[in-house]
Amino acid sequence: MKIAVCIKQVTTREWQPRLDDGKTWIREQDAAFEMNEPDQYALEEALRLKEKHGGEVVVCSAGPSRVAQVIREALARGADRAIHVEDDGLANADAFVASAALASAMKDEQFDLILTGLQSDDQGFAQVGVILAEKLGLPHATIIMEVEVTAGSRGLRVKRELEGGWFQWVSMPLPAVLTIQSGINQLRYATLKGIMAAKKKEVKKAPAPAGLAPKQKILSLYVPEKSKKTQIIGGSPAEAAKELVKKLRDEARVL
Amino acid sequence: MILVIAEQRDGKLNRATWETIVGAQQLAGGSTPITVVVPGGKEASGAANDIAAARVKEIVTLEHDSLRGYTPDGFTAALQGAIGELAPAFVLLPHTYQTRDFAPKLAARLDRALITDVTGIKTGSPTSFSRPMFQGKLTADVAPQGPGPHFVTFQIGAYRADQAQRGSSPAPVRAMAAKLDPGAIRQTIEPPFQQAKQAVDLSQAERIVSVGRGIKEQTNIAIAEQLAKAMGAEIAASRPICDSGWLPMERQVGSSGQTVAPKLYLALGISGAIQHLVGMKGSHTVVAINKDPDAPIFEIADYGIVGDLFEIVPAMIEALKS
Amino acid sequence: MSVLAFWLLFLTGVGAFVAQVQRRVRIIASTTNTFSLDDLGFRVNRFIVDVLLQRKTIVERPAAGIAHAFVFWGFIAFGGYTLTEFLHGLGIVDLTDMAWFQAYRLGLAPFAVVVLGGILFLLIRRAFLRPVALGKTVSAESIVIALFIAALMITYLTGLAFELSPTLAQINWWIHMSVILAFMALIPASKHFHLVLSPITVFLKGKELGALPNLDFEKEEVGLETLKDLGSKIRLDAFTCVECGRCQVNCPAWGAGKELNPKAIILQTQDALLADGQSKKLVDVYTDKVLWQCTTCGACENQCPVGIEHLPLLIGSRRGLVSNGDAPDYLGAMYNQLERRGNIWGLGYDQRQKFVTSAGLETFDPSKHEYLVWLGCAGSFEADYQKSLRALFEILRKQGVTFGVLAKEKCTGDPAKRTGNEYMFQELANQNIEDLKASKAIRILTSCPHCVKTIGADYKRFGYDVEIMHSAEYVAGLLRDVEPGTGNREPGTGNREPVTYHDPCYLGRYAGKHEEPRTLLARFGADIKEPVRNRDNPFCCGAGGGLLFADKEEEPGSRISDVRFGQLQETGAKTVVTACPFCSIMLKGAQASAGPAAAEMQFVDLMTYVNGRLQPRATGG
Repeated sequence: MKIAVCIKQVTTREWQPRLDDGKTWIREQDAAFEMNEPDQYALEEALRLKEKHGGEVVVCSAGPSRVAQVIREALARGADRAIHVEDDGLANADAFVASAALASAMKDEQFDLILTGLQSDDQGFAQVGVILAEKLGLPHATIIMEVEVTAGSRGLRVKRELEGGWFQWVSMPLPAVLTIQSGINQLRYATLKGIMAAKKKEVKKAPAPAGLAPKQKILSLYVPEKSKKTQIIGGSPAEAAKELVKKLRDEARVL
Repeated sequence: MILVIAEQRDGKLNRATWETIVGAQQLAGGSTPITVVVPGGKEASGAANDIAAARVKEIVTLEHDSLRGYTPDGFTAALQGAIGELAPAFVLLPHTYQTRDFAPKLAARLDRALITDVTGIKTGSPTSFSRPMFQGKLTADVAPQGPGPHFVTFQIGAYRADQAQRGSSPAPVRAMAAKLDPGAIRQTIEPPFQQAKQAVDLSQAERIVSVGRGIKEQTNIAIAEQLAKAMGAEIAASRPICDSGWLPMERQVGSSGQTVAPKLYLALGISGAIQHLVGMKGSHTVVAINKDPDAPIFEIADYGIVGDLFEIVPAMIEALKS
Repeated sequence: MSVLAFWLLFLTGVGAFVAQVQRRVRIIASTTNTFSLDDLGFRVNRFIVDVLLQRKTIVERPAAGIAHAFVFWGFIAFGGYTLTEFLHGLGIVDLTDMAWFQAYRLGLAPFAVVVLGGILFLLIRRAFLRPVALGKTVSAESIVIALFIAALMITYLTGLAFELSPTLAQINWWIHMSVILAFMALIPASKHFHLVLSPITVFLKGKELGALPNLDFEKEEVGLETLKDLGSKIRLDAFTCVECGRCQVNCPAWGAGKELNPKAIILQTQDALLADGQSKKLVDVYTDKVLWQCTTCGACENQCPVGIEHLPLLIGSRRGLVSNGDAPDYLGAMYNQLERRGNIWGLGYDQRQKFVTSAGLETFDPSKHEYLVWLGCAGSFEADYQKSLRALFEILRKQGVTFGVLAKEKCTGDPAKRTGNEYMFQELANQNIEDLKASKAIRILTSCPHCVKTIGADYKRFGYDVEIMHSAEYVAGLLRDVEPGTGNREPGTGNREPVTYHDPCYLGRYAGKHEEPRTLLARFGADIKEPVRNRDNPFCCGAGGGLLFADKEEEPGSRISDVRFGQLQETGAKTVVTACPFCSIMLKGAQASAGPAAAEMQFVDLMTYVNGRLQPRATGG
């Protein structure tokens, strides 16, 4: 099976964002980067499918040159080769531009299966995987918790996650696109041998197609008012309990 | 015209559709008409009659046998046709798992902008939509670019369903035949199911009530279990409780037990030793109830009550009943 | 005739000896040279103290150690005698009539008596007292060797004490010389080979406890995977083992009933090397389960009297496993946290910032601050331990010491290093060293003994040399002349408060700093009730070597932390003083699991204890 995994390089979860001068994006110079967490699960799933069914795993990423960091990490974890659509303008691209960039480099590869994380940790629009499927004319399913390859590697049966603890199995023919839910599997760590081998693996550079128009514009980026402080609820036990339940219902919306 | 795409299953309307109506009414500002489209099989009319209570111009059921169960191929094709006919300026949906599955495909099919997970609208010139970014650390005001219709999905809970304006009389409901080729639907779906609860899997629980040494005796675990039942939560514990055999080992949360990330983690009488913290720090909302104001658990709690859990928990059970 | 016969006997005995020795020497030499020879002065000194003066043998087991010392010194004393008799027997030269030889021979008498006494004591101890450390079965070869030594002394004394007829004298002589040659033929394949090897092994032992050289990734080093990868020092160690069991009985994993037994590891290595399958995987020699039970406390290596270094073998084998992705799941999760968040807890750095702000800490500035305080992962994130750091800050501020912290720290990499993930360690180390160098700090204080070892010793290998001290040592010096206040004790009470002090392995054993905390405690009102294992030989709390997260699988025996907690309870003191965040976490966890009987025990960090007694008592009103 020829499996592609689309990965994105995002700022690390612990990094405190600082805004650039125009206040429409973050100050990249101060940021630390890592592989988007849902994409890590997608990569792990691809590696497991390769171990089970044979074939190769190709990681694809669209972004500026710094993206090479996560590509190397993916190769160290076991991907066989990589495609890097390199362009500085892709640093804060929207999902449409990113999908178009990836599709242009991927369409001639004839992948059997394409996996992406369900959304990115930075912008979090949750669109690239689905738009990519549409652009490549492939069937898709999202927020997948389990993948079965069927019909002699010509079909898929996958488990979608639904709200409230519900699930649904869906079948479709290959080739197809899946967006993977975090926690589907246990991530392996990059072994020393993997890191050494990664240095010798192929990273194909592809140019971003010209004239990609963004479909959205960030007018302003700012820190929200609600900060993460502990709310200690006072009063008598009965009062505090009532207030807590109210806040959990209306404010936190977890009840 | 503003188009709202409703979500329903087996004729039962998803509550999030009412939230989307609120957003639509805000965007409409009282002057622009709102149409609601209800895709589905014959059962769609049941949901359509529900939503007709809203203050909107009309409800359109988009019916086809192949839309009875949701598939991205089917819904995209059908809605593409409906949108072509209705020609809205905006298409609004709730940001449900189902919407996330087809909305980007629909927007890409029509080559139009899609802004997802929106928590607020800033009307103006241009109108922009606010949404969280960078794990909620920042908020962005985003304006769609290019020709309409522009697609927007609203974060679940961003608007309150009970704030939807109701019409003085039910809105008219009409049917529209969906134009799609059933043979072009590549997905074969099976009926949705709930995961069978054979073993305790705390990692899938949405809400957890967890007990620590503050519970004092094994017999007291009963009130924690009552609270869990009232909340629809699973019961869990820190290591000493499981070591003493008061709860089975599968219910232990911590570095030597399960790692959980529920929407709500309620820690009763748990001090918050770091080996416990690493097992639940991914929880969305943490509530801590403890007698000791210096307990480390309060450092990571979103809400906390310093007090006697034996008085607070029964009061919470009462409050939940109302 | 008899000379010829003796030559035949001689050649047989010596031939057997040489052949066996040659085989072992070839095994030892046919691999990478990992002998260390730096600092000859230190080595000569250690050789004199530990080998010639037998310090290590005597300190932990005084009776057996002294008995052994007698046998050892006797052997050396007899060297000249034996050589002369051989030269005589081989017909090379006869010096036995010389006056000096006669005098020498007489002078050996007290040695012979003492050797005989010693060997008989050791024989009785081994055969009848049967200490656990010597193994379940009595080794037949040990009995034989002991009887040989006894025979040698008896034949010597017989020859000296009695006027024997020429025939009897001849027989006595032949018995004596044959026993020596039989001894020679036996020792290479027995634990008595240490007679030849141990002086060499002790001399070549590294200076540092638990020395783990960096892997060179340019050379594609991945750690120890097969027998072929074992370096010369490890092979020498394997043949030197004297089977005394000091490593075994001091090992906390073994003491908690687990399968790890350091003595067995060394002996298994020896057997495997002799069996000659050089491509055999180490994980098949030891089983991987056992490799992950080591806390790296260093007790085994520290106790060994013959210079064996267990840790490079254990951790080297871990490296081989980790490089291939075979670390246990709980470590895989820990490595992911380290990689993504730079700390083992997986917590975000805004947590550290919250503490830094609330404790009023300044960013280190060499123009303003004398010391850099390294918070470490517990100091950055563990709420309980942060209380003890606040106490340290108060002590420093009261004494007018200026200090600051780094803007950001990552984990020193200690958990990665000790569990064999060398790549992760070097990544973290390089980043930290860059930040440390940029800060221009030349003196570092920390309250975590693991950070002391890693920054102080392991970072040296990257060329980063800085003075780093544990707060216990620094504060002991700082408060040397400060009068303790009455603190919160009632005025007029002369009573000393009974406490027990748990030495952290990485402070008491690795750094050798066990008197400074005691000095501090005693000066500030503590009556220290010592637990069974203390000072430079504590019983580990069970956190090291990645075992902090290891509780998941079903394991035989108890938790190491539970065993240690029991030992601390037995002192009768209700207050336990600790000086390491991990000891504190583990022991408090043990207390929580020990049930209501243990609830009255209090844990207090050394800094909190001292700070609480620095204040003058608050006056009423």
